[in-house]
Amino acid sequence: MVDTVVFLVAAVVILVGALGVIFSRNPVHSALMLVMTLFGVAVLFVAQGAHFLAAVQVIVYAGAIVVLFLFVIMLLGVDTAENLSSEPLAGQRPAAAVVAVASVGLLAVLAVRAVQVSTGAEATTLPLDSERSNIAVLAEVLFTDYLFAFEVTSVLLVIAVVGAVVMARRPRPAATDELEDDGSDGDDLGVERHTQTEAELA
Amino acid sequence: MPPVFDTPAIDYHAFAPEIAMVVTLVVLLFVDLVFEERGRWATATVAGIGLLASVVPVLSLAVDGADRSLFGGAYVVDNFALVLKALFLVAGYVTVLISTDYIADGDYYEGEYYFMLVSSLLGMTVMASARDLISIFVALEMLSIPAYLLAGWRKRDLRGNEASLKYYLLGVFASAVMLYGMSLVFGVSGSTLLVDINQAISRGVDSVPLVTVGIVFIVVGFAFKVSAVPFHTWAPDTYQGAPTPITAFLSVASKAAGFAALVQIVFIGFLGREDVWAPMFWVLAALTMTVGNLIALRQTNLVRLLAYSSVAQAGFMLAPFAVAADIPADRGGVGAATGAVVTYLLIYAGMNLGAFAVVMAVARKTRSAEISAYGGLFAYAPGLAVLMGVFVFSLAGIPPLAGWYAKFVVFKTLLDAGTVAAVTLAVVAVVNSVIALFYYASVARQMIMEPAPEAETARVRVPGSLGAALGICAVATLAFGAFPGLIAQLGDLALLGVLP
Repeated sequence: MVDTVVFLVAAVVILVGALGVIFSRNPVHSALMLVMTLFGVAVLFVAQGAHFLAAVQVIVYAGAIVVLFLFVIMLLGVDTAENLSSEPLAGQRPAAAVVAVASVGLLAVLAVRAVQVSTGAEATTLPLDSERSNIAVLAEVLFTDYLFAFEVTSVLLVIAVVGAVVMARRPRPAATDELEDDGSDGDDLGVERHTQTEAELA
Repeated sequence: MPPVFDTPAIDYHAFAPEIAMVVTLVVLLFVDLVFEERGRWATATVAGIGLLASVVPVLSLAVDGADRSLFGGAYVVDNFALVLKALFLVAGYVTVLISTDYIADGDYYEGEYYFMLVSSLLGMTVMASARDLISIFVALEMLSIPAYLLAGWRKRDLRGNEASLKYYLLGVFASAVMLYGMSLVFGVSGSTLLVDINQAISRGVDSVPLVTVGIVFIVVGFAFKVSAVPFHTWAPDTYQGAPTPITAFLSVASKAAGFAALVQIVFIGFLGREDVWAPMFWVLAALTMTVGNLIALRQTNLVRLLAYSSVAQAGFMLAPFAVAADIPADRGGVGAATGAVVTYLLIYAGMNLGAFAVVMAVARKTRSAEISAYGGLFAYAPGLAVLMGVFVFSLAGIPPLAGWYAKFVVFKTLLDAGTVAAVTLAVVAVVNSVIALFYYASVARQMIMEPAPEAETARVRVPGSLGAALGICAVATLAFGAFPGLIAQLGDLALLGVLP
């Protein structure tokens, strides 16, 4: 009973969100509607007992990815009116129609086939420990068998942050003046010292 | 009831090289943070000392000799891993040596440069020991991400930006393809451990298409990494646009790491499914050798020439993979193929780093990497010209230089396998060796026969660290060529400890 109600509510949320993504005139509204859809999917994951997937769904999809969408939308500017009649790629619309029809056709075939082959059993690929939630099982694996990869990943994140800072930082405009008396290596290269070495190499 | 965790047993001796490198990273960041501009000169020294210090535990592990297996076999320290770790660390040290003056002279961020270099090396040393898909993937990202950044270190140079962007986009694409292949292989075998994967996929005949697609995707992903044709398109532009020390680093260490991963994945994980990968490697090897050499013939820029020559050299390293499963057990079996690849990598590292070191020394004076700028080098800088000759003729495989032995080992592997496909590949390799001689020799001809452009014959001043790097590479190239027994022992030692 509860399962059915949860499913129905989540399904309505997902469908309304999905339709909202398509029919919103404002791209920001579309992105927010996408959050709603992804949230509904997360609820369905919880209903299936896949708590870890539900958390990932919220954190990664609803959180990180949609925020990224919003960043891009904001950077491009929300005020610019969408010119829906323009077609940036030639033949975009007919191609979209073909893909849409093909997708619906595939779905229909799957739906018809599913009625024949569906057993109604829950999908599992490996026997899980029924005593504990899958989050506990994942945590145990992460901190035993995959401990090394986990720790190395943390080092990797530090490296990526340092790299991002280096790439994003603007070059100092008056770098040559600072370098003059920094006492770095004593060799005397004279004029060559501050030129970008081997710029002409390329 | 609180969950009970079994604490994994951790052998700190096995991790000592990596721990030393992480300590080096932290020290580098702190030197840069605390001393700011005044400490810039120290960062190269810190990085060099840190890398040499990391070699010490590698040696102590080698003396100890026992194979160590941690985390249920996900991280293995065996002779193969140790030989490669030593190669990465020494190649990294030589890269620091050739970088020192280049980075100090140009207006670059110094502390972060060495931080990135050591990070990339850390990923490589992890890769040498990684024996499950997750460790391999994390190691691959760890060695690649700093490499993308280093390739674009010349931020204000358009070619530098192009180099970094192409390398990044294609690298990420390759990672995605590979990850997809890994997920398929995991889905079929139910394990990320290479040994278990081998059990699963060589036993069952079901899910053959999935296994095939998985293997193909993983091999293709690494083919990008080792710049095998037709996945080499990023290499020339990246090599040309990156700072020259990084070009040397990418063409040697990064490539070696890709091969280290391939050896482990293919010879441990996919052994028994050679029906899928042997033909792939045959085509990759033949194409890589031929296309790399033919394009190298037409290059007028020495850095681009070395880039295409390194593509062609990768073809020789791919050849043993194509025939590995056909080598009879009394000729060493798969172990012989592993030995051939490792031997080739060790020798190639010395001679290729050396060639780039000469390019850098000459470019300090001529400001150019065009081959035409090398005219008359023998007259006004005979030392450098002779060294360049040693390195390019070694790359061409002329005895008694080391490159000869590398090629010899590959040919021996191919002929030991003895199948029609193997012998055909050997013929392709011989033809390619001859083609390669043309462009390597043209560099020597330019140095000796042609006059210097604009009659510029001032001495070339070689800074100390660059000279040291040249010395290390030259000694390695000459010694391994004169006494191939030295390198043969290393190659024979470098067997995978845990075979399925």
